[in-house]
Amino acid sequence: MTSLSVQNQQPFPIDDIPILSVKEFENSVREELLAQARMIGLFGLETTESATTVVAVLGHSSTSAIHLLGTTFTPANNRYRSFADVDPQTHYFECELAENHQIIPEGHPWLRPVRKQTIILANQPYSMYKMEGEEIHEVAVGPIHAGVIEPGHFRFQCHGELVYHLEIILGYQHRGIEKLLLNASPSQQSIICESITGDTVIGHSMAYALAVEALSNTSVSLRTQVFRSLAEELERIAMHLAGLGGIANDVGYAIGSASYGRLRTLAINSTALLCGSRFGRGFIVPGGLQFDPTDEAIEALKVNLHVVQHDVLVINEVMFGSTSVLGRLDHTGTVEKEWAQSIGMVGPAARASGLDVDTRSQFPYGAYKYIHLPLITLSSCDVFARARMRSLEIDESLRFIFDQLENLPSGSVQSEMNAIRANSGVVSLIEGWRGEIAHCAFTDSKGIWKRYRIKDPSFHNWYGLSLALRSEAISDFPLCNKSFDLSYSGHDL
Amino acid sequence: MATLIFQGLLPFLFILGVSPLLVGLINKQKALLTGRLGAPIWQPYYDLFRLSRKETIYASTASFISRLAPVVSFSVILIAGFMLPIGYVRPLLSFSGDIIVFAYLLGLARFFQILGAMDIGSSFEGMGAAREAAFAVFAEPIYFFTIGSLAFVSGYTSLYEVYLSIHLDNPSSLVFIIVSSISAFFLMVTECSRMPIDDPTTHLELTMIHEVMILDNSGIDLFLYQYSSYIKIMIYGIFEVLFFNPFSLHNQWLGFSLFAILLLLLSTVVAWVETMIARLKIKSIPQYLLFATAIGILNLLIYTFVR
Repeated sequence: MTSLSVQNQQPFPIDDIPILSVKEFENSVREELLAQARMIGLFGLETTESATTVVAVLGHSSTSAIHLLGTTFTPANNRYRSFADVDPQTHYFECELAENHQIIPEGHPWLRPVRKQTIILANQPYSMYKMEGEEIHEVAVGPIHAGVIEPGHFRFQCHGELVYHLEIILGYQHRGIEKLLLNASPSQQSIICESITGDTVIGHSMAYALAVEALSNTSVSLRTQVFRSLAEELERIAMHLAGLGGIANDVGYAIGSASYGRLRTLAINSTALLCGSRFGRGFIVPGGLQFDPTDEAIEALKVNLHVVQHDVLVINEVMFGSTSVLGRLDHTGTVEKEWAQSIGMVGPAARASGLDVDTRSQFPYGAYKYIHLPLITLSSCDVFARARMRSLEIDESLRFIFDQLENLPSGSVQSEMNAIRANSGVVSLIEGWRGEIAHCAFTDSKGIWKRYRIKDPSFHNWYGLSLALRSEAISDFPLCNKSFDLSYSGHDL
Repeated sequence: MATLIFQGLLPFLFILGVSPLLVGLINKQKALLTGRLGAPIWQPYYDLFRLSRKETIYASTASFISRLAPVVSFSVILIAGFMLPIGYVRPLLSFSGDIIVFAYLLGLARFFQILGAMDIGSSFEGMGAAREAAFAVFAEPIYFFTIGSLAFVSGYTSLYEVYLSIHLDNPSSLVFIIVSSISAFFLMVTECSRMPIDDPTTHLELTMIHEVMILDNSGIDLFLYQYSSYIKIMIYGIFEVLFFNPFSLHNQWLGFSLFAILLLLLSTVVAWVETMIARLKIKSIPQYLLFATAIGILNLLIYTFVR
């Protein structure tokens, strides 16, 4: 295979990425996809008037290898054969490429806008999928919603209560994060990365920090690494508790919603003990941590988490033992394993559909290189599985945190940063609470960002939500939506 | 004379004055059960007061139906309320055959709410109207197999007389009443859009039944809809507790206190159900309602044979 093979967070010179002809590129990517690769990125690396260099990033979870390969498109020669017929997971990446660079995938099943709703895509105006027939009706929800949530437009094609098709239009939150990063000073960059998704502050700031550290050959202390993964697991616990509370709320289970809500406050307060921010803002920066937690903070953290551990056990037993709750969760919003696999779902949602995907064990980074976390999968693929998965992950994360707190390594939490390498790139994968976060960073000849590419797990999973709604009752949409718990801003960037 | 005036005023005062308090009590207890402090029990009054001062806005597609519906549904529900005895007091309206009128006055109110919802042409409200209409079909038999079987057994057809005929002194009629009251509870949660049929606190339009129908109402119209939904809870609350309150109709003060206590107890039961039970899937609601009807039918059959 003609491609550059690297590890997670291993820097490489950009020139090492093989630039193939379009034909070879098509064939090589196809080969990779047939060899069970997962697409992590397909984006324009460099754009000039006359040509666009496109890079494909593919992850092989069995070997922990990340393969990169590229090609060049010119305005005259801007077509390639779509990969979506081999592996549908690429379809959204291809849409994104078409939207940003007018590079057209031929034979693409459904070219649709990713972030720009106004869109003229590949010189064709886009109109939403529409069904026709007697008694078929359309329900449009959003982009402004009844709750205080982010904007997204949902278009249902229904027959009575039954949903045949759901189309999700996003992009209302497009802030141009990737462009902002290019012109920002290093201290601003951390803050921008923390704001990619307000609920995955730790995940994105960690992916950013690891990318910068890899490119600058900076090694951080073990204490830093342990605290980073502690913070990440704390974020996972807090967000899973919030998600379970949301699910309880959506099925009208007041006791669950109240209890998980209370515990979530305890969990985010624990993050505040580490760094002063309940969402972990300002904790992780390139070169280490901004705060070194004191022993008192650690003790208070332990007390908090023991309460969480005890109470979570109780409320889990009550909620997952309640027949009325199970009646709502079971067989609702099913995404079969094959579907989940083919659209490249990630994170707890994918594991709930029985897929073995977890960056922490498949592309280990930071402290996860030394400490193994079990990979849990469930097989029922429905809202129940996604909810149960989250409760199981809370248990595992708590166990992990308590293990680590037993013997914390000592040492400094700040390391001297070296200069960032010029003309290099790195792929930084993190398992955020929602799934795989990928930051692909590339520097120019002065060691300044040339391209900074971000992929939030929501990018894959929004389509999973569409699939979950097929042949489902429209009244179960909010529940399915909450069980995926996706980010609008993370998708829109 | 004084008694007559009192009897005339009490239903007005009680139904109009105390209904919001019942909802306030339910919400307060629900909050306490989930470990929260909750809104004050007077909150529904504040809400009504707030709504009454707000401007009323109509959709540009609204016809006169939208203006008519809230008024009709409010007044009709109020009239239905006057058919039930408050504690020991003889109702304002009572005549033989009023059990049918009662049911269809409430039916008329629903009919106008549905028309009002469809008038604007929003897809959400149409969806809510469809659900409301569909579930009403399943709820109606419950009414006729609870109060109807009581009427059948007692031989009266006026609500007041039917309730007057209830005796809890022999075991078979006690069981009969208890089972009827279970069906009546199902009816109450359905008609009043409470859990597990409908979630009154949700903000998710797609899952709503009652709330989604009044999305486009504001100001005084919303005031009327809210008020009539409070009154409806009171009506069905009275409907339910009178099953257990045979004294109320004979001994004034003992009866009235018992009546109040039973209402309070009912609010606790509703709050408990809303806290501990998740909402049903929409497609299994008909099953749930048919179940209530089925117990009603079985109850009647068993009682007639045992007696």
